[in-house]
Amino acid sequence: MSMLEIWLGILQGFRVTALVTLYGLVFAIPFGLIFGVAQYLTTGPARFVVTSVIEFWRSSAVIILLFVFYYALPLAGLALSAMTVSAMVLGLNIGGYASQAVRAGLQALDRGQKEAGHALGLSRATILLRIELPQALVAMSPTFINQLIQLVKATSLVSLVTLTDMTFRAKEISQIEYDPVPIYSSLLLAYFIVCYPVALFGRWVERRINPAREARRAV
Amino acid sequence: MQFDVAFALSTVPTILGAIGMTLLVAAVSCVGASAIGFGLELIRRSGGLGGLFVRFLIDFIRATPVLVWLYCLYFILPFYGIRLGALATGMIGLSLYYSGYLAEVFKAGIDAIPNGQAEAARALGIGRMDITIFVIAPQMLRNIAAPMGNYFVSILKATPYLAVLAVPEMLGRAFDIASETYRYAEPLTVAGLIFLGLALLISHAIKRLEIRLLGPTAR
Repeated sequence: MSMLEIWLGILQGFRVTALVTLYGLVFAIPFGLIFGVAQYLTTGPARFVVTSVIEFWRSSAVIILLFVFYYALPLAGLALSAMTVSAMVLGLNIGGYASQAVRAGLQALDRGQKEAGHALGLSRATILLRIELPQALVAMSPTFINQLIQLVKATSLVSLVTLTDMTFRAKEISQIEYDPVPIYSSLLLAYFIVCYPVALFGRWVERRINPAREARRAV
Repeated sequence: MQFDVAFALSTVPTILGAIGMTLLVAAVSCVGASAIGFGLELIRRSGGLGGLFVRFLIDFIRATPVLVWLYCLYFILPFYGIRLGALATGMIGLSLYYSGYLAEVFKAGIDAIPNGQAEAARALGIGRMDITIFVIAPQMLRNIAAPMGNYFVSILKATPYLAVLAVPEMLGRAFDIASETYRYAEPLTVAGLIFLGLALLISHAIKRLEIRLLGPTAR
């Protein structure tokens, strides 16, 4: 099998890899935002509930979560497609990590920001949406970009629940023709080509938003 | 079909029986990843062609999925006549993969040590090797206890990937039960809960250790 055929074969799986990533973000972004903010704002029992939900999605092994939801949801009467289950599990797992970045970003802000808002008579919601969140999200954007890379890489797991992503296609091709060296090294390279530009973009963003820190590191 | 709690409970002893294998894989991989990661970071710091290569290798590892690395090692090594078995291949795979992440942690830890430490040691006539081991490494470890612990938990959560290579750790055992009984939801849920408990327990232990190392003012 020629190198070109291998690459074309793997490329056929790119659509599913991209779709799972995209749908995963549909779950990850709202979950990360809402639960990160909720953990920041709540106290007492409410905070315990919020933290428990986050910890469930964040601290579980994602490969097991995927299998559990894939096999257990139908028993609960929820027959979702493999695509939906994958996007939900991978998305909420990354969303759990993202929520911690959102909360940490909010906590790291100077208290004066909130107090100045109060002094101006702004409502708590306005302070959060117009003052705190914009600063926190910008400050944490390199972390979010890192988590996007984690999500893309985690999509390789969907090959285990019958979705024909790049990893699934590579396994298929190597079953047709036993030639593992070019097939699997091409697969590694394919993920690298997708993820590395995103990583470089993340570094560029980090330099842009924090030139002072970068300068200190260079000294 | 309904979720059968009694059946789920009956699978607990079998799955829990494989916890030793899970912990063994995790422990060996943590040690391996730390050792390789520290070596990689030392080569990267020494500059030159080797440093450039290692810098690229670390970026490459971080932009590719661990599952694909495991497939690569599992299928490509035997092709060149290297037969290690699934368990050894899996542990080497996890060690190599996470060494890329730990190298970054070590980098941050070493960068945070003032230059004067190494300079003073050199002025005292201490050899390069001794400076690295007795001056740099201990201070570095104190700096990075928290992120290092987080990656150890990540390694623990990555051990079920080895089930894909048919290593009899907890997820592998759960799948054995599933294929014998045609009931997937119960054993997988049990494995998931045990992993969640284990991950939470170990993160908690690491947090305690961190407080002991750095004092109660630690983040």
